[in-house]
Amino acid sequence: MKVNISMMHIASILILTTVFSCTKTDPELVDEQELITSVILTFTSDGEEDQQVRWTTQLNENPTITLNSNSEYEVAVSFLDESDPTDVEDITTEVKMEADEHQVFFEFSGVPIEFGQAVSDVLDTNQNPLYINSLWSTSSPGSGAVRVYLIHEPIQKNSSDRNGFGGETDVEVDFSILVKD
Amino acid sequence: MNIIKRLVLFFILLLTSIIHGQTCDFRILGIVKDLHDGEPIFGAVVEIKGTDFYGQTNKEGYFELTGICEGSVQIIVSHIQCNPVERSLTIESDVELSFALEHHINELEEIILIENGITQVNTSVSESQMNADQLARMSNQSLAETLNVLPGVSALKTGSSIAKPMIHGLYGSRVAIIANGMRLQDQEWGADHAPNIDLNGFESVQVVKGAAALKYGGDASGGMIVLSPQRIRLKDSLYGNTILNGVDNGKGGGLSSRLTKSYDNGFYFSGQLATKYFGDRQAPDYFLTNTALKESSLGFTFGRSRILKGWQLKYTRFQNETGILRSAHIGNIQDLLRAVESEIPLRVEPFDYAIEAPKQQALHQSLQASYFNQISDQSLIRIDYNYQINSRKEFDVRRANRSELPAIDLTLQTHDFLGSIKWRNGFDWEFEWGLNGLLQDNFSNPETGVKRLIPDYLKYQIGSFITGNYKPSNIFNWEWGLRFDKVFMDAQKFYDTEDWIERGYNLMYSDYEQKNFGTQLLVNPKLNFLNISAQTGIAIRLSDSDKTTLSYILTQRAPNVSELFSDGLHHSLATIEYGNLTLDKETSHKVLLGFKKENTRLSFGIDSYLNSVSNFIYIEPTGVEQTTRGAFPVWSYNSTKVFMWGWDVFGEIQFAQDLEYTFNAAYTYAQDLTKNEPLILVPPFAFNQQMAYTFSKKNIEILLSHRFTGTQNRFPDTNFSVNLIESGTIIQKQLDVSTPPTGYHNLDIYFSLPLTNQTSFKSTIRLIVLNLTNTTYNDYLNRLRYYAAEIGRSVQLQLVLKY
Repeated sequence: MKVNISMMHIASILILTTVFSCTKTDPELVDEQELITSVILTFTSDGEEDQQVRWTTQLNENPTITLNSNSEYEVAVSFLDESDPTDVEDITTEVKMEADEHQVFFEFSGVPIEFGQAVSDVLDTNQNPLYINSLWSTSSPGSGAVRVYLIHEPIQKNSSDRNGFGGETDVEVDFSILVKD
Repeated sequence: MNIIKRLVLFFILLLTSIIHGQTCDFRILGIVKDLHDGEPIFGAVVEIKGTDFYGQTNKEGYFELTGICEGSVQIIVSHIQCNPVERSLTIESDVELSFALEHHINELEEIILIENGITQVNTSVSESQMNADQLARMSNQSLAETLNVLPGVSALKTGSSIAKPMIHGLYGSRVAIIANGMRLQDQEWGADHAPNIDLNGFESVQVVKGAAALKYGGDASGGMIVLSPQRIRLKDSLYGNTILNGVDNGKGGGLSSRLTKSYDNGFYFSGQLATKYFGDRQAPDYFLTNTALKESSLGFTFGRSRILKGWQLKYTRFQNETGILRSAHIGNIQDLLRAVESEIPLRVEPFDYAIEAPKQQALHQSLQASYFNQISDQSLIRIDYNYQINSRKEFDVRRANRSELPAIDLTLQTHDFLGSIKWRNGFDWEFEWGLNGLLQDNFSNPETGVKRLIPDYLKYQIGSFITGNYKPSNIFNWEWGLRFDKVFMDAQKFYDTEDWIERGYNLMYSDYEQKNFGTQLLVNPKLNFLNISAQTGIAIRLSDSDKTTLSYILTQRAPNVSELFSDGLHHSLATIEYGNLTLDKETSHKVLLGFKKENTRLSFGIDSYLNSVSNFIYIEPTGVEQTTRGAFPVWSYNSTKVFMWGWDVFGEIQFAQDLEYTFNAAYTYAQDLTKNEPLILVPPFAFNQQMAYTFSKKNIEILLSHRFTGTQNRFPDTNFSVNLIESGTIIQKQLDVSTPPTGYHNLDIYFSLPLTNQTSFKSTIRLIVLNLTNTTYNDYLNRLRYYAAEIGRSVQLQLVLKY
């Protein structure tokens, strides 16, 4: 019986101490590391001014890229975490460093645009282009859209469509394209 | 003695018996003691068989029966905690007797009687039970998979190794798991969180299909799963068992063992450990990559139990690491569409024991102190205190080696106190009154680098219950109970300032706003709920073989943290889930009607129920959110009015002494009355049958088990369209995530061979083949059914040793 009483004492003390010590400290703000909030495409072409088009979650409609017909553009993709305006993080570096686990890919609709790797592109260990820097060739004028993908851990790195790569989609954003005459 | 004298004596005797009937003024005096330590036992019932004479022992263990007639009588001394003792004697004068009682010593195979020797948790609510032998057969499975064979119980699965028990179509916070007399406290609110418990530490399972046992809580509208450990034998002995399993599918197995040492003086020690180790499981046509599992559990119990009082200290630890099918980790709805359209999982790799992200790790520890004391011949007190600490880590496939960093990291601590006093009023009335206090603290580690799914919170709950049982005779029984719970929740959560304003919370809950971090807002919701629950029911024995029960249960449940605060992306379902701060408590009215016929050759039973729930909290698709991963379907918690009904039938036919057939079936209907559409994830019709044949010579048993799971034709449409670019044009495709898979048949076989037949050492070797026909099928209640088929054939060798 004595054993029990002391046991119950311990139990009640345990309960009481927890009840009274239960002023929780305020939770810390989570420093989100995985987030991509903005996708920026930078177009450079000889004789043209550099064009930067930005997709962010705040936009209500897709941003428009304006290109000239029958031209070549070098397109650099960058991924940013701007959730905290005072501390913008560039995720692009991480993607480049893990070229084997990533794939950037473009799908066009409505406009005939071809793309390939740019000289400045990043290659993975098997010499596959990451397309972080790509070369776009426009032909006839028109309007359409481009879907920009960032694929994580693709099953294979050579494909002509999104499905062929498999893997998980980290980024899938649409830009409108206007190809001028 | 000559004949004349004899005749005279005979006539005198005859005469006296004609005048007085018999001499009926004798007394029986006596004392009842504990066999082990000689302490007096009070509250023992002393009766004369076949008569109305009975008495009870007082505080000193004495009893007295008066007005006893001459002749031979049979005296039975019984006590709820003890085995009854019978003694025959001839009454010619006043008698003084002494009895020594021993505690219940149940056969190991017997279904464990809980607490005070009542088989059923509630007499007026039917329940399903599983005994040690049935549990041993399934010792390789999880709790939910094991219970899946019971009528009205299903398993809500996430892949092949995460399963939650579902009762009458309800799960999660609506199903309480009671282990060793206390409620299991883990992340029961998450559909993909399996209960952190190993069945191998328990001797029996009882499933009560309603929140009838108010002692354990009044919020589990689905029902309660009561797990009881092996009862301690109160004599000098050493006993235990060991189960070894080897399985080809997953190239793994398990070992579970327990050992108890008990002494005559009531002291006992008990130890238990179990471990499971599996590699990737295999579907009929491919490996289920990353479905390996590692699990271990251990427990120690130390205590002293005597007839009138006892105490116990128990520590248990459960740990597991579960891989989640790699193909189920997807980024967006286009990935989901690709997975749904593919015949086989998108990632199939060779067999491996490694567990990579996505995976879950859980560690659950519990420390419990229990004490009971029969303070008077009419009353018994029982006190339980339990501390549980549960940590859960979930890992996602992430960039920059962050896959090793958990995306979810929760530590949940719970202090739970349950004290009750039980008393009797005469022989007809029994009451129990008690208090239940709970304090729960959840900590979400911010180091994950991912927005918290569940916020930090403190939950206080204080409850009080009173239950009563009126049993005037063996044919009628009336049960009732009432419980009040006050629940207070104090959470601290970061909201996206935009979301907070968009939902209008800034107007409704401006008091809760604590600190502004610009894009994020720290909010401190303080929520109060008062829940009332009640139960009343009757059990009537219509004849020796027939029994009927009727019960009504009122349940109120405060919304859980997930329903209130969920906030985030669900990787395997490609949905964004949002909690709802405006939710109120859920109220359920359930009526159960049961009938049971039990004969030696044929038993049959049916349980039917109606369940009307107002403010039923559920998650529904509410729109689309544009993210950098494309458009995502948003699911938000909301409440509606739901009506459910269903039935469970079960039966047993003994065709011959060596041929036994059992079957059960269950159907559940659930309708959302506001939207006028079926509820999601309701178990389809299920039918189980088993035929067991025992070869008389060697006791070899062959058991063939067949399960039919029907097609669920009642489901809400939650499909959505996906926008794709195919050869230069944008197209819309409908993604069918709501149509349930077609029904399936599942065949299992068990060969059991008893090795020795000595009383002290019993062992059985078993060959088990699950999914005998290697059928490829999908289950509606598996939330990862879009990605892969269920496990294929699995051959298991099992050795059960009892000592």
